[in-house]
Amino acid sequence: MSYETDDEKVEAIKTWWKQNGLSILAGALVGLGGIWGWRLWLNYQDSTAMHASTVFEQLMLDAGDHKTDAVTQQAATLHDDFAATPYAALGALVAAKALHEAGQHDAALTALQQAIDTAPDPAIAHVAALRLARLQLAAQQLDAAAKTLAQYDVSPAFAAEFAAVRGDLATVRGDLDAARAAYQRAIELGSSLSSLIRLKLDNLPAAG
Amino acid sequence: MLQTIRERAQGWIAWAIVILISIPFALWGIQSYLGVGGEPIAATVNGVELPERELDRRVQEARLDLRERLGADYDPATVDDQQLRAEVLDTLIQETVLLEAVKRLGLRVSDQEVQLQILSDPSFVKDGRFDKETYERLLRFQGLTPALYEAQLRQKLSATQLVRALASSELATRTERDAYKRLMGQRREISYLRLPLAAHRTEEPLDEARITAYYDSNRARFQTPEQVKLDYLVLDSEQLAAKIEVSEDELRQLYASDQARFVQPERRAVRHLLLKVEDGADAAAAQAVLEQIQAIRARIQAGESFEELAKTLSQDPGSAAQGGSLGIIESGIMVPAFDQAAFALAVGAVSEPVRTNFGYHLIEVTQIQPATTQPFAAVRESLHDQLTKQRAESLFYDLAERLATITYESPESLEPAAQELGLTIQHSDWVSREHSEPSVLAHPKVMAAAFHEEVLVNGRNSDLLEPERDRLQAVVLRVVAHRDVSVKALADVREEISAAIRDEQARVAAKAAAEALAEKLRDGSDWSAAGADLTPELPGLVDRQSTAVPAGVLDAAFKLAVPTEGGVSIGTAILDDGDAVVVRVTKVEDGQIDAETADAGFSAEAFIITQMLGRQAYLNALADMQSRAKIERKVTATAEAMP
Repeated sequence: MSYETDDEKVEAIKTWWKQNGLSILAGALVGLGGIWGWRLWLNYQDSTAMHASTVFEQLMLDAGDHKTDAVTQQAATLHDDFAATPYAALGALVAAKALHEAGQHDAALTALQQAIDTAPDPAIAHVAALRLARLQLAAQQLDAAAKTLAQYDVSPAFAAEFAAVRGDLATVRGDLDAARAAYQRAIELGSSLSSLIRLKLDNLPAAG
Repeated sequence: MLQTIRERAQGWIAWAIVILISIPFALWGIQSYLGVGGEPIAATVNGVELPERELDRRVQEARLDLRERLGADYDPATVDDQQLRAEVLDTLIQETVLLEAVKRLGLRVSDQEVQLQILSDPSFVKDGRFDKETYERLLRFQGLTPALYEAQLRQKLSATQLVRALASSELATRTERDAYKRLMGQRREISYLRLPLAAHRTEEPLDEARITAYYDSNRARFQTPEQVKLDYLVLDSEQLAAKIEVSEDELRQLYASDQARFVQPERRAVRHLLLKVEDGADAAAAQAVLEQIQAIRARIQAGESFEELAKTLSQDPGSAAQGGSLGIIESGIMVPAFDQAAFALAVGAVSEPVRTNFGYHLIEVTQIQPATTQPFAAVRESLHDQLTKQRAESLFYDLAERLATITYESPESLEPAAQELGLTIQHSDWVSREHSEPSVLAHPKVMAAAFHEEVLVNGRNSDLLEPERDRLQAVVLRVVAHRDVSVKALADVREEISAAIRDEQARVAAKAAAEALAEKLRDGSDWSAAGADLTPELPGLVDRQSTAVPAGVLDAAFKLAVPTEGGVSIGTAILDDGDAVVVRVTKVEDGQIDAETADAGFSAEAFIITQMLGRQAYLNALADMQSRAKIERKVTATAEAMP
């Protein structure tokens, strides 16, 4: 392309703009709008998370003061209004402890199940499942406890603590060989309660 | 010619050139966005890069920390750099896994929480309250902007939220608490019989071949380590200080020249009453506040108590409750307008309204502590110490430098340095790397120098050594005698070996006797099977903490299987002093579950269980996340090049 004069050039640019100007403007607008919308979305997410975080902190405080009703209420708020945030599961986890300590054992089981279902990361589900199995065991729901163990004892990181619960379950069921094996495994894998588990192991009646 | 250029410049060649030139401009600096050829990376965690620089910094911190903790025992030579580096990298990766998880999960503490944390951080506090300038200065120092620092802080706080949620929600079930209590409080009815080691010791002569075999297989035990005898010079600033004399005139002069240090400026006890003027307030609003405060001033002058009015009316939340009291202040602490007014007032007078950026203040001075100067006699001692120390220090550095030079220039002897600097050459006895007296030699740095090739083999003076940086002590040493690792001759250790062998024999015999007796008891015999001269101990019921029986017996007793009803459980053990024991358990009583405490969830047992499991829950969760994270460790050359 070569132009004879400057006027011709200006003319050419003008024609080009007439043909394409609208679509360029529209493109720029859509692009900017997209960026703006995205930022708005991020902001919304941030503020939701912060809001949930504040509720959660209050829940932790109330749990420390043994205000079970307040804890239950905040956990419900987190579960209903902030299900998309990780605080729903964490709130359920803390609520479970409060309910358990207040003697509301069934509600505690439900809260832990809720924590498992809403857990934003498998690690949190595993923590909740381990506690669920222990509470089920304490409530004499042996089959349910066995099922929980079978379903969630999948990560090597939690294997030691799960083995300890297996040992307790086997002891209750009177399967002493299985209990011995499970306790030994828990100790080998380095359970945090190894010294207590060692006592349990030593206390089992002699191998028949 | 120009015409030609102009014509050509319109054609496609020109365009091609322009495009070619513009490429480098367009792409300039792009590598910093793409991370190509950027700074070296130590590892990546789920795509988050951990720069080598950060790792270096943390390793440095870990080393300082180690030095702090070990104090004089710290020896750079014993710290395995590779290992330390690997450990620090592991920690760093773990932290990153946590922080990355926090981000991925969307944990986010509120702005207030972040703000609160910053406001309460003692490192940002100046004169008792948060100081924005200090805050910004400290951040700049670390190369951070407030926004960046706040983002980092938020991430850390959010991480503690996860940690707290996992750990503090740990629980202990009733069954678990009871089981713990039963086991810990368990008591066992035991009896035991001791089979003394001495009774199984024989005096018959030992086989020569056995002694030789023992000697051969335990050579390391009979070794004397490599040793040296040292000559050394010590330069010590404390000793130098003892010889330094400071004249009275010099002290007077120092006192006179440093007068400001001994003056305690005037201080005043001040109370104030503040009425705020909002930041954006216009002149009319400010005027209204001024009128209000003038009315209050009038009330005070009419006889009402400043203190009472400040309590009820002052809008300074920090001081109102104390009747407006700000305590005792020096000039220069408060904002200038306030300062000027407060230091111009007489005691008991009330100031005119003073305008500051907070609003309008009324100020009252309740007490004036005039400026005082400490007299020469009171500070003479500390001036003397200061001057002596300064001189000793500069003398030390001067002498240390000369010592280093002389011992370096005549490396074959310490004599010239000793003569020129008036030091005495000291002589050590045989010392090894691990064992050296006197203490100045015991420092690992000094011993490392003594066994350095230049010094040990080539017989040169060591470098100038400063065992502890802050003690201003310097040592130069040379080796005058050296002996290698040696093994003591068999004849010298014969007695030691026979004793060891006899001990071992007796131990085996006692253990065998115990096993035999245990077998008999299991078959139904009673303790008389042990023979007439051995009688059992019958302590009865003991708990786990009992001190009535030897620890070895207790341990064995509580490890034995629980006996069946009416039956017994029997085992053996070797005690610390070598005696063998047979232990018999006849009854097991579980710890009592107190009906009252059983229902309350907050027992000591519950506490221990929740503490241990709670901590573990968090660690396990982190390990679990880490096992699923994509982690790449880069092995780089710099790892070896670290000093």
